[in-house]
Amino acid sequence: MLPAEALTAHRGATLAQRLTVTVKPGYHVNSDRPKDEYIIPLKLTWTSGPLDAKTTVYPKAEEIQVNGQALTVFTGTFPIQTEFQVEPNATPGTVTVNGKLKYQACNNEMCLRPVTIDIPLQVTIQ
Amino acid sequence: MPPVEAQVRATKDRKAAPDFSLKDENGKTVKLSDYRGKVVLLNFWATWCGPCKVEIPWFIEFEQQYKDKGFAVLGVAMDDEGWQAVKPYLTERKVNYRILLGDDSVTQLYGGVDSLPTTFVIDKDGRIASAHVGLVGKNEYAGEIQALLKGGQETAAAGRGPLSSADSLLASAAK
Repeated sequence: MLPAEALTAHRGATLAQRLTVTVKPGYHVNSDRPKDEYIIPLKLTWTSGPLDAKTTVYPKAEEIQVNGQALTVFTGTFPIQTEFQVEPNATPGTVTVNGKLKYQACNNEMCLRPVTIDIPLQVTIQ
Repeated sequence: MPPVEAQVRATKDRKAAPDFSLKDENGKTVKLSDYRGKVVLLNFWATWCGPCKVEIPWFIEFEQQYKDKGFAVLGVAMDDEGWQAVKPYLTERKVNYRILLGDDSVTQLYGGVDSLPTTFVIDKDGRIASAHVGLVGKNEYAGEIQALLKGGQETAAAGRGPLSSADSLLASAAK
């Protein structure tokens, strides 16, 4: 996974941050909207602070069949884009916005246990 | 069902299955050693695991077919959400074998169990006769169970290949 790059933003502005995720060949991660209620979706969340995550956009998922089960998944390299709103009265300076990416990966024969990783994003507010 | 070569390892090469205590859905504490004298298929799984879902109907069938012959399936669910996630799943799929809620202290005993399903077939003396990481064919399991119930372990072990990943993990954990 590529780390989120440092950003510069103005108070009151919106800004988009793209996170690039790469899945190991042979594996897939569940999409953000799996068909089966028991399947753990991919989910990127951000803690609130001077930047408020307004929307998170995931790519269109692939539909695959594994062992007779229809799945919606992501494979290879794909982006997740978040749009932030900077508070109009935010204090100028550098802040860290903390994101968490939860995912659960499988191949055709086995699944790995779900993982949550931290995504620290440095933003300089002007 | 077509005959298959059982892949259980020779009796002399088997290691003791680490004992553990976990609770079933009724809150009863169950120990693996309670099953001594039976052949046990110990399956680590989770509700979110697709390949595990494929195996469950097989295990239901094995439980029905071999229960009265000294066999039991023991499922260890690794769902972080606990019984809240697991109980409805068991009801929906009419699971007829005992399920326990797993934790990391037990998976450490079995080498970590990073991948699901991970399954150990344990002989009547509580020793690991085979270990499988990932989805395995129904006939392979059936052959192993039948071989162990017959007690023909030495003959059945003839075709055993290199250690599987689960074996290697268990070996590492034992050091």
